[in-house]
Amino acid sequence: MLHQLSDQFFNGITLGMLYILVALGLNIILGLMGVINFSHGSFFMLGAYVAYSLAPHVGFWPSILLAALIIGLFGMLFESVLIRPLYRRLPEYTLLLTFGTALIFQEFVRRVWGDDAVRYPALPDYLSGSVTFGSYQFPVYKDVFLVAITVVILAVVWLLINRTNIGVIIRAGTRDAEMVKILGINMPLMFTLVFGIGSFMAGLAGALAAPIYAIIPNLASQWIILTFVIVIVGGIGSFWGAVVGGLIIGVLSSLMELVFPPAVDVTGFIIMGVILLVRPRGLFGVEGLFE
Amino acid sequence: MREAAANPWARLGAVAVAFAVLPFLMPGGSLELNPVQWHRWPLHAGFIDLATTVLVFALFALGFNLLFGHTGELSFGHAMFFALGAYATALYTKGFDVMLWGLHLQHDAGTNALVALVLAVGIAALWGFGLARLIVPRSSGIYYSMITMAFAQVIYFITFHWSDLTGGEDGIQAISRPSLPGLPADWLADPSGTHFFIFAAAVTFVAVVAYSWILYSPFGTVLHAIRENKQRSRFIGYDVDKFRVNAFVISTIFPAVGGWLWVYFQQSINPDAGSIDYSGRVVMMSLLGGIGSFVGPMLGSFVYWDLQNSVSQVTKYWPAAIGAVFVLFVLIAPSGIVGAFDDLRRYGAAEALRRWVSPRERLKTDLSEELPESGPH
Repeated sequence: MLHQLSDQFFNGITLGMLYILVALGLNIILGLMGVINFSHGSFFMLGAYVAYSLAPHVGFWPSILLAALIIGLFGMLFESVLIRPLYRRLPEYTLLLTFGTALIFQEFVRRVWGDDAVRYPALPDYLSGSVTFGSYQFPVYKDVFLVAITVVILAVVWLLINRTNIGVIIRAGTRDAEMVKILGINMPLMFTLVFGIGSFMAGLAGALAAPIYAIIPNLASQWIILTFVIVIVGGIGSFWGAVVGGLIIGVLSSLMELVFPPAVDVTGFIIMGVILLVRPRGLFGVEGLFE
Repeated sequence: MREAAANPWARLGAVAVAFAVLPFLMPGGSLELNPVQWHRWPLHAGFIDLATTVLVFALFALGFNLLFGHTGELSFGHAMFFALGAYATALYTKGFDVMLWGLHLQHDAGTNALVALVLAVGIAALWGFGLARLIVPRSSGIYYSMITMAFAQVIYFITFHWSDLTGGEDGIQAISRPSLPGLPADWLADPSGTHFFIFAAAVTFVAVVAYSWILYSPFGTVLHAIRENKQRSRFIGYDVDKFRVNAFVISTIFPAVGGWLWVYFQQSINPDAGSIDYSGRVVMMSLLGGIGSFVGPMLGSFVYWDLQNSVSQVTKYWPAAIGAVFVLFVLIAPSGIVGAFDDLRRYGAAEALRRWVSPRERLKTDLSEELPESGPH
């Protein structure tokens, strides 16, 4: 029983790490630009597929990094061509537009990689084993590598936002983009950059998820709604909100597997309902943002 | 936004005529890819069934449009009410016998379509009321859209996982069509589909009349005021949140009736009916036709199914084509086909074209002229 509990707990941590990466990417974009990207889940999915396709040719590390980079650059292109014309409109229109593009991405993936799940080629040896700790076994990739890399990425993003000039602009822009623009900052460029960073994180999460989850064309729609739930639970636009929200939902929905398996998929939504009742802005949300 | 209540009777008459000629406007092929057989009479089941589909989704889109088009709130989860109406009807008709935490829930098969309708609408409206009370005071804008989308997923997962009751992924099959009073018992089961189309057209028409009545009542006018400016409406003295909750509850009734019709029409139901896919479909239809316009969503349903039916015969990746058309509409003509025709009539071809491609002018054709609070202005 204790072993089961620990297994599920660490499965939840693994899932939570990926949730954090995806949700944080979405949240940074949402916080600065006030637009919601439904295709964020598609970027996650594309990251997984691109890493899967690259891995046999370039190896494990380059496949992960290249996939994330490609998705990040693609995100910047996506923002400047499709999202930019919508800034003067209501934010709802971005949601509508990116819903349409998500359909296109899904069919693109079906066309290129087929309807069936694809399997990532084998991991390098040093990542495929497991660490033994007493009578407990921890798979290196899921429980050590993924956690470590997520922590590193989180630290980098945190430093970027809190300790650099770009971060100052991003934080100021979240409060009042118009004022920042008046101060002479090239906001459209910042937006493209931030969209690129957010997409990079989605692509990275997808690439990291590729070796452990089945890669299928409806990955995008499964993940995007959960990402929304995490953002709502954590608080729109909040760094720590995405971190805590991702962990809570990852761990609790994994533990639900032991309590009442049919409810695993709805755990996140139940948490969201409770949070809405007691803290409508989410755990770390700010009153008055995006209303 | 557009069209004052110029002449509601003329408008309703036009809708009635459109319903009557609808089967003749559907292209060949069908959901089952039957060949075209124009010479057959009564109409071939292929395209008359497609016309019925258009009606069901027109009904569904009316509810969605009451919220997005007329109250300015984008619900991305309205398929949940479609699914609730559909499952209520299916379960009432087929009966069930399940255990839930020691409770024995049991119901024998029922045959009364009216009871099914009351159940479908009642359950959807009740869930809608609870949900609206939870989310309306706490959210608006894109936050509202995200939350409705998430709650729709709850209904989807319940229908998906509670197999004892809902049949899980396979859903419920072999649901018999009801008999209507004064007509032969198997009248609706007519294999050509004509009778069911007439039935669906009658139901949809009644719904359109009710919709028109709601929209052009003082209540509907307050909704428009809320759409244009929440704060100002509040200052005038309206309890804005109460109106938003009421609008939400009313908007659940139309999809629920649509779900009720859909179950009798398809004679089966599965969890897809409540999926994000269906919610998105109705969003796309409404926008294609023209949100905020009276006939827009109905026109949108027609255009959507025409498009899907034609494209799906060419490629199995048809959703990409629909997605691309939708993206173009969002970018260039966010007020849909009705809005584009309005522009043509108002400005003439050259000026209308200039407005569609110029981002600055496009603002004016938007749902509302309110600008987002963040983002470059």
